[in-house]
Order: sequence, then C-alpha cells, then structure tokens
Amino acid sequence: MGEVNQSGIAKFLNNIRSLKKSFLGSFLRSGKPTSDKSRAAVMFNNFFLHIQGVKTHINTLRPTYTFGFGLISLYLLIIVVISGVLLMVYYNPSVTEAYNKIKDLKYVVFGGNLLRNIHKWSGEGMIIFVLLHMARVFYTGSYKKGREFNWVIGIVLLILMFGMNLSGYMLPWDQLAYWALLIVANIINSPKEITDSLGITQYFDIGGFFKELFLGGTNPTQESLTRVYLLHIWLLPMFLFLFLGIHFWRIRKDGGLTRPDTFERKDSDVYYVNPPEKTGGIFPTYKTYGLMELARGRTPAVDKDVENTVLSWPNLLIAELAIFVLTLAGVIAYAYFVDAPFKEPANPLIPENPAKAPWYFLGLQELLSYSAFMGGVGLPGLALLGLALIPYLDREEDRVGIWFTNRQGVTVALQSFIIGTIVVIGILAFVVNFGWFRNWWPNVPQILITLINPGNIWVGFMIVYSLFVIKKTGSTRMGAIALFTMFLVSYVIFTAMGTYFRGPNWDFFWSKSQWPIH
Amino acid sequence: MYSRFYLSVLLISGLVLITFLVFATYRELNPEWKKYQLEYRDLLIKNAPNEAARKKARSIKIEHQQIYIKPLKKVDRCMNCHRGVDDPLMKDAKVPHKLHSGDYLKKHPVSKFGCTLCHYGQGRATNKKDAHGKGRDTHWDYPLIPFKYIQSSCAKCHDYLFLKDNGGEMVVEGERLFREKGCRGCHKLNGVGGDLGKPLDIIGSQPIAYFPMKYVVGERNTYNWLKQHFLDPRKIVPGSEMRVFLSEKEADLLTTYTLTLRAEEMPRQFRAIRYTTPVPKDGESLYKMYCVACHGNGKISAYDEILKRTIPAIMNPAFLKIADDKNLERIIKEGRKGTPMTSWKRTAAGLRDEEIRNIIKFITKDRPDERPEPFDYKRFVTDTKHGKELFNVRCALCHGKDGKGGKDHLGLNLRNPAVQKFVDPEFLAMTIRDGRKGTPMPAFGKTGVGLSDQDIADLVAYIRSFSDKGKK
Amino acid sequence: MSDKNPEKGEVSRRDFLGLAAIGTAVLSALGVLAGVLRIFKPDVHFEESKKFKIGKPEQFPVGTVKKFDDKKLFVFSDEDGFYAITAVCQHLGCIVYKTDWGFQCPCHGSKYDQMGNVIGGPAPRGLPWFKIEQLVDGSLVVDASKEVPKGTKYIYV
Repeated sequence: MGEVNQSGIAKFLNNIRSLKKSFLGSFLRSGKPTSDKSRAAVMFNNFFLHIQGVKTHINTLRPTYTFGFGLISLYLLIIVVISGVLLMVYYNPSVTEAYNKIKDLKYVVFGGNLLRNIHKWSGEGMIIFVLLHMARVFYTGSYKKGREFNWVIGIVLLILMFGMNLSGYMLPWDQLAYWALLIVANIINSPKEITDSLGITQYFDIGGFFKELFLGGTNPTQESLTRVYLLHIWLLPMFLFLFLGIHFWRIRKDGGLTRPDTFERKDSDVYYVNPPEKTGGIFPTYKTYGLMELARGRTPAVDKDVENTVLSWPNLLIAELAIFVLTLAGVIAYAYFVDAPFKEPANPLIPENPAKAPWYFLGLQELLSYSAFMGGVGLPGLALLGLALIPYLDREEDRVGIWFTNRQGVTVALQSFIIGTIVVIGILAFVVNFGWFRNWWPNVPQILITLINPGNIWVGFMIVYSLFVIKKTGSTRMGAIALFTMFLVSYVIFTAMGTYFRGPNWDFFWSKSQWPIH
Repeated sequence: MYSRFYLSVLLISGLVLITFLVFATYRELNPEWKKYQLEYRDLLIKNAPNEAARKKARSIKIEHQQIYIKPLKKVDRCMNCHRGVDDPLMKDAKVPHKLHSGDYLKKHPVSKFGCTLCHYGQGRATNKKDAHGKGRDTHWDYPLIPFKYIQSSCAKCHDYLFLKDNGGEMVVEGERLFREKGCRGCHKLNGVGGDLGKPLDIIGSQPIAYFPMKYVVGERNTYNWLKQHFLDPRKIVPGSEMRVFLSEKEADLLTTYTLTLRAEEMPRQFRAIRYTTPVPKDGESLYKMYCVACHGNGKISAYDEILKRTIPAIMNPAFLKIADDKNLERIIKEGRKGTPMTSWKRTAAGLRDEEIRNIIKFITKDRPDERPEPFDYKRFVTDTKHGKELFNVRCALCHGKDGKGGKDHLGLNLRNPAVQKFVDPEFLAMTIRDGRKGTPMPAFGKTGVGLSDQDIADLVAYIRSFSDKGKK
Repeated sequence: MSDKNPEKGEVSRRDFLGLAAIGTAVLSALGVLAGVLRIFKPDVHFEESKKFKIGKPEQFPVGTVKKFDDKKLFVFSDEDGFYAITAVCQHLGCIVYKTDWGFQCPCHGSKYDQMGNVIGGPAPRGLPWFKIEQLVDGSLVVDASKEVPKGTKYIYV
C-alpha cells in the first residue's frame, strides 16, 4: 500500500516480525473454526479431513447404529501398523535370529513386551471388529443403493486382513509359527487332492506349484521366512492401504453411511450432536463449487436430507477422537495384562500335537479334517464368493438403514440362528460319534469324500434353507439374512470346536485336562 | 455443549489410557532385577572398608549387566540379579549376591564364558522364573542344571584324564559305568552299537518334547527323565526291554555322563582337550561295553522277565566245549533275527573283525581243554520220520511241538533261521548228546537219557528239515 | 475424419497406429508382469538333494524291504520289481513305522495300507511312490522329487 518509499531492509524486517502469522496462515487457511462457515471450511480445505463430508447425518453419529465397529477396525489397523513399524527396529527375519530378537524385545527393550502385546492383540482384535463391522453393514442393509461395490471392496479387505494376521503369526519362528506355516503350506497344496483323484498331478500340479512359491522350496526354510516377512511388511500392507483408500473414497461418493428414509430426530440425539447455528443447510450460501452434469449416473449424494445433518467439525471429529482413544485404551489395557504367546524354538523334528492354526483359522482346520481341498480352498472360496455376491443377489431397496429391516427380519435372523446352531452341532456330534466314510468303508475313493463330507453338507443346507426362506417370505433380503446369520453362526461354532474340543491327533475331548500327556 | 456422550467417552477412555500408561511405565522402570541390584549396592555401601570404597559403591549404576560371547553367539543376563557373582566382597553374602563357589571363575572368567555355558538356564531372560527355566510354562528346554550333574559341563571342554584329578570325578566315573554296563549293546554311539534302543549321540541336548514325560515324577525335564529312566526303564517307557540294575548313586553318575552327549561342539578356542580317551580293544572291555547288559556273566541260562525269553549262557563251559570259534563268529556277526541279538558285523552294529575276535577270545577263555567227542553225522543214514517221533516224545515238552520254542521260551526256538542257517549238524548232535550244563538242556546221549547215536542223528535230521537249507 | 468404413472392416492408418501403439504397450506391460512373477519361483532349493543312490540291485533280494532313515524312505523288492515309498507321513512329516498291515505314524495316528493308501488318521493323502532309475554302473537311484502312481514297480538287473 503506498510503501514504495520503504527501504528493502525495513520490508525484510517486517516479514520476519510477521513470520508466525504468515507461516500459520499459509497452511491453516481457514482460520479458527469459530463460526459455522469456518467449521465448514476447515473440513473442506484440509487434505486429511476433506475425504469426509462437511456435514454428517445425525443417524451416522448415533452409537447404536454403527457401534463404531468400522472406526474401531480402522484404529486397530493404525495401532497395529505403528506398533509393527516400531517392532521392525528390533526384529530380524532370520531363522536363527528371529526367536532371540523377540526374546530380547520381551526382556531388554524398554516397553518391548507391551509393544509386542499391543501389536498382537490389535492385529487379532481387528478380526473380531472387522467381522462385527461386516455384520453391522449387512444387517442394516448398507450394501445397497450404490454401495454394492464398496461391499465387495470390503470382502477384499477381509481377505487381506486375514493374510496379514496369518503372515505375522509366522514371524517369531517358534513351534507355533513353524507348524502353522506348514499347515498353511499344506492348505495351499490341497488342490492336489483333486488332481490326484483325476490322476493328472504329474502334468498339472497346481497345488504343489503355489506351495513352492509360498515356501520358496518344498519345506519351511529360511526362504519361507523371508517370503512371509515380505508379504507381511510390504506386499499385503500395500494392497491393504490401496483398497482402504478406495473403501473410504467410495463411502464419500456413495453419500456417507446409510440412514433410513423414515429417519426422524429423537430427543436423545442431543447427547450425540450439536446442531449448526442455521438449520436448513449451509450449502446454498457457502457452496463454492458446482457440479457439471455431463454424464448419466448417480451423483454424489451430498445434498440429501440436509435438514438432519450436522457439521462434521466438531461433531464427527469428536466422535472419531473419542472412539480412537477408547480403542487405544482398550488395546493397551488388554496388552498390559495378557502376554502374546511364545513357545519353544521351531523344531522340524518335533511336531506339535495337535498342530493348530491360529484361532481364527481353527474353524477352517476343522473343515480341513474332513477334506483337505474343501476345507482349505473349496468352501472358504465358496464362502467368500457368496459373501461378495450378496449385494447383487439381494437388490430390494426398502428400509435400507434399519437394523434387520423389519420385524420379519428379526424373526428370520432368530430362527436361522437357532436352526443353524442345532444343525451345526448335530453335524459335529454325528462326526465325532460315528466318523465318516473312511471309518465305515476303508477303501472308499478320496473323490467321494471330497464331494460328500460334513463341510459340504453344511454349506448345502445353508443354501437350501436360504432358498426356502426366499420362497416362503417372497423376499431376497430375508433369504440373505438367513444365509448370513447361518454363516456367522457356523464360523463361530466351528472355530469353537477347533479351539476347545480338538486335542492330540485331532481327536475329540470335552476339555483340555483330558488330553493324554506325552 | 457439544455431544455430551462422546465427550464422556473421550474423558473416561483418556483417563483409563493415562492410568495404564502410568502403570506400564512404572512396570518398565522397576523390573525384578532392579531390586536385587539395589540390595547389592547397599551391601557394598554397608560393608565398605573406607570412605573411598563407599563413594565408589554409591556411584554404581543400576542397569542391565549383559554378557555377550561372540564365538558362541551367547547372551547371558544372569548378572542382572547375580551382580555379585564375581565380587570377592560377596563371599559370605546370601544368594543371589553370593560369590561363585570355588576358584572356577579364576580360570573361567564370566566375561569370557558367561554362565549358561555350564549352568544352562535361559540367559536372555531377566526375571528369575524365565531365567531358571523351571516349569513348562517357561517353554525353555534347558533349565538350570541340578548341582549334582554340573560336572557334565566340564566334559564339554576338558578331557577325562584331566578331569579325573581336577574336580571331574563324577563324570569320569559316569563314563566308566557307561562302558562297563553294556549300554552300547542296545544303543548306538558314533554309529557303533545295537539297534534296540535309540542312538545316544545327542541325547543330552534333545528338547523336552523328545522324551515321553507322562510318568516322570516331579519336574518334567531332561534331568529327571534320564535319572528316573535309569532307575526303572519300564516305569518311564512302558514295554521297554532295557536291562539295567543300578543304585541311586550309579543312576546319578550315568545321568551326569549322558548329559555330556550333546549336539553342540565347542569352538577351538574353548576346547582344552589334550588327551582323547582311547577306545578299549581288549576282549573283556569290549564284552562289558556291548554284551554284558543281556548276557551278564554268561554262565547261567535262565528265563528273563524283561526280554520275555531265555538268554543263552554264552560262557557256559558245556556250550563252549561244542561251539567252535567259527560258529561263534558267525552268530555274533549275523545276529539272530527275531531275537534281541543284534548283527554285530561292521556294516551293521559296527564292530570290527578284530574287535569281534577279541570278544570271542574273552568268551572262550574258560573253554575246557578237552575237546568234545566228535560226532560223525555224515556216516548216518537218517530217518526223519523216526526223528519226528523222538522229537514229539523227548523234545516237544521244552521246545514246543513245532520246535518254535517252549512255553515262555523255555527251550530255544529251533526254527530260528539263524539256527537253521548257521549251525552245523555236528554242533546240534553234540549238544543233544552231551546236553548243556548250567542250563535246563539235559544230556540225551549215553551220559544221560541214553539215546543212541542213530537216534540223535535222526533227531538232527528232523530238526534240520524245518527249513530248506537244513535239507542240504 | 477418415473415409474408411468400420463396418466393412476397414481401418484407417491413424486408428491402426493407435491400436498398434496401445497393443505394444499392453504387450510390454504383460511381459514385465510375467518377468516380475517369474522372480517368485525358486530355481534352487536350499534343502538336501532329493536324488539318492541306494545301492546295486543285488543288494535288494526279492522279498526284502530296506528302510533308509536318513533319506526317509522304504525300498521294496518283490517279484514284480523294485519300488520306493516315502517314510514321511503326509500329515505333518513324521517318519512312519512299517507294520504287518502297512505303515503307522507315531505322531498323530495316521495309518496307511501296504500300497500307501490312507486307511485311518488325519493324513490327507497316501504315501507317495518315487521314481527309481539306474545309472550306467548299475547303481539304483531313487528320485524323491519325482512322484509316480502307486503300484509303479521297476525291473532292473
């Protein structure tokens, strides 16, 4: 302004004096969020925050809608990654050194034991919360109305997450790690059951091929540990973050979380949110971008039901911060009391009996004991495919955003739960008491067992029952509820079976105290 | 104001988080060993002879006392608690501060050898339970070695000639017992020995899961397993055919010795071996090493409860009278398939021809000078049918109707391929005629029952008809 | 604007160049991808050799079986020839014992019949049979990396 006569030095000194203001102003461009306008602006202008909308629907912020499962899963991931990077400072992926380095973490690294526990429990906690999140999304019908693809992305993330947990489990190179690695390698090898039955293994050994790629050889060696480490710290996380980014992008573009068309504010909402100064939406006044409609298709649903939205700053962010601290507190409290298991050094000459996969795979191991191929590849593949197809097989759009959809949904879920429990336990009881084909006809061909075994029978029942529900209720949504509920029930029961009731030689025992001591 | 619910969640979680962080920090800053080092420092301060020493004692830092032995890749943190182990001022202190006993640390300074090299335990651990490795929940295969077996560690680097007069009497004695109780009759060591038991080359360093621990009394570790197995093999391993009768002291000594049989080899700079114990070559030592466990003094043939069969009396003078060296050599070399008698030749159990000859020399040292009356089997025309009749009347009672051996194996199995293949008809005939004094086999010839030579020849023909080879 | 008619299958030079360029890019990408994936297949195994010399045919008289503990295999010889069956249990790799009726694994109870087929226990598949070759000097060599169908017996003199 008319300082043409000011000397250069004075200009320079002036710049130094106003350094703080100009620096802060250069990256905090929205100013303090003290008005609705600035609160909107801070969300909009920030690189990290603008993946979320400026406004959030009140339904999203009701704890009893989502229970925060998705957020908790994300936070567990963040905690597991940060703790993992810290562990990398001390870990060495060598078959002679890995075990010792983890012992050092336990005994001489400051906070090492706690850090390892945090990493293990947040990693395994992710399995539980991701499954809960998946159940929440399913039961609120939130895989519809444009969100179908995001559900599929979620299934991909589920697979990657299991891969992360499994590869991490093998890194300590203790007895648990080594024999779990061998079991997984044999699961990968399970297509051999099919190629053997067809007699084509000599020419087309697909199972053996992938087993060799995975192990870097034919037995677990240093090569295997190196590859598993690569998977765990780089390959899988890279894809995980890529798909996670897509997952969040889709949430935003699909219009945030679902909410019922019949949404109405409740008095209790005042505990969760603080509405903006002006009701009726900010956008008409502050929108600074326009949407050019050049193509047909769904537009980002940013303007729907604006009356029941509140500003993301601070409502959404305070909720997210609260859940984060809650998650962190839970993980650290659990890690404080419970140590991650760690057994004797890996010994190829002395198998664990029973050699068990990590707990989240014990349901699979139970199925594996019936047929290697079906339990290892066939049924899990079918389950994942089935899950991925749900949004395309059930396209009814009414009452999206309501738990269990309606009264009938609750009934169907309850019935499926009870029937599923009874049938699964019935199948398990039959197998434990009477065995299966090979116990009755020792020379039965393997292919018969592959095709007809308890796992297949259960999956067959699930499909038939769901189709029956669809027919009876005339609704694909009800059928989906029946199928999904039975899937959850069987996952839990098979996992419990493999965990608590299978002992040495995979024989049935009522309790661990009955296991024969070697 | 703003969402009350989430603010409460934030507040409570935050408080819980801070609380646990405080607890965790406190726990990290106050490990178990800190207490012991503080005690040690206090002892030094209290017993300081002068002000300078007191000042020095006060300035001691409480920190990790890690010993790293590069050539062994060993990490020992025992001194975190046992900081006074090499401090002469701690001579009369109580454990864990007490000075190491004897003058072992003079020649084996802790900085060069560490502690677990001799005492085992988990060197990397920093709390008592995990470091000592007691209890299966520590998942450590090599807990602290009981003091009575400690001399087994000396044999890792020192030879037995040296140890005999330098504090290793127990392990030297254990090695002598091993040589003289016939253990290698059933167990291989360095590829030489029988096949009935497991090879012993690295038995001392096998992980705990290698041993069947079901019936072990007390702690389930290698030390207890070895000792209790020595005292009563069948209690620890049901169905075991191990023949050993030891006193408690002998069991301890043998345990000390077997603990020296380990997989790990000490690097050159640690070994102080100047003398390798020579392998005995004389017949008597060899007999003790390989034969004595089953054959004892070889004079009496009796039914054995453990092996559930009769063990032949191989030093019985009557037997020796008839058995010539050639026959003996054949039996020893080829063994007796289907019985615990191993094939001892070089390509099987690993004994050299010279060693077998020496054993035979020893066995036959009491062979009576008088040669047995020869039996010219070839001049007889034999009647196998008559032999069968005689057999059913005279022999079946002890040897079984089919010759397979009597009840409880009272009489030897005559159908045994080794008997059929390797025993001359003359040997059979002379045994039947003269019997075997010291065993239940009576003399059936003129000195006993009174069968004629023709009868005996017929019997031999019948016995040899059990196999095709015998018809030759 | 070209005067080529796509319906007649005619392609303009510009379109053709465009397609060729994209095609080249795609091909090279596939090539790179193939190269990247090939890296994962190991060309050498850091494990012990799988071919073992077991001796001359005379050392295996008809009706005998020899167990090679260190090589983890059984070599049989009967009237129909020689055959090699692995002693590694297909469940978790323990060494099986030979019994009158077949093979028994001490670790988790897997049982196999005399041909190696699973007749009990958790083993997912039967015991593999291996190829047996003969060298010029007459020695027999078992190739444990080459599995052959059960019942394959070799006649060598």
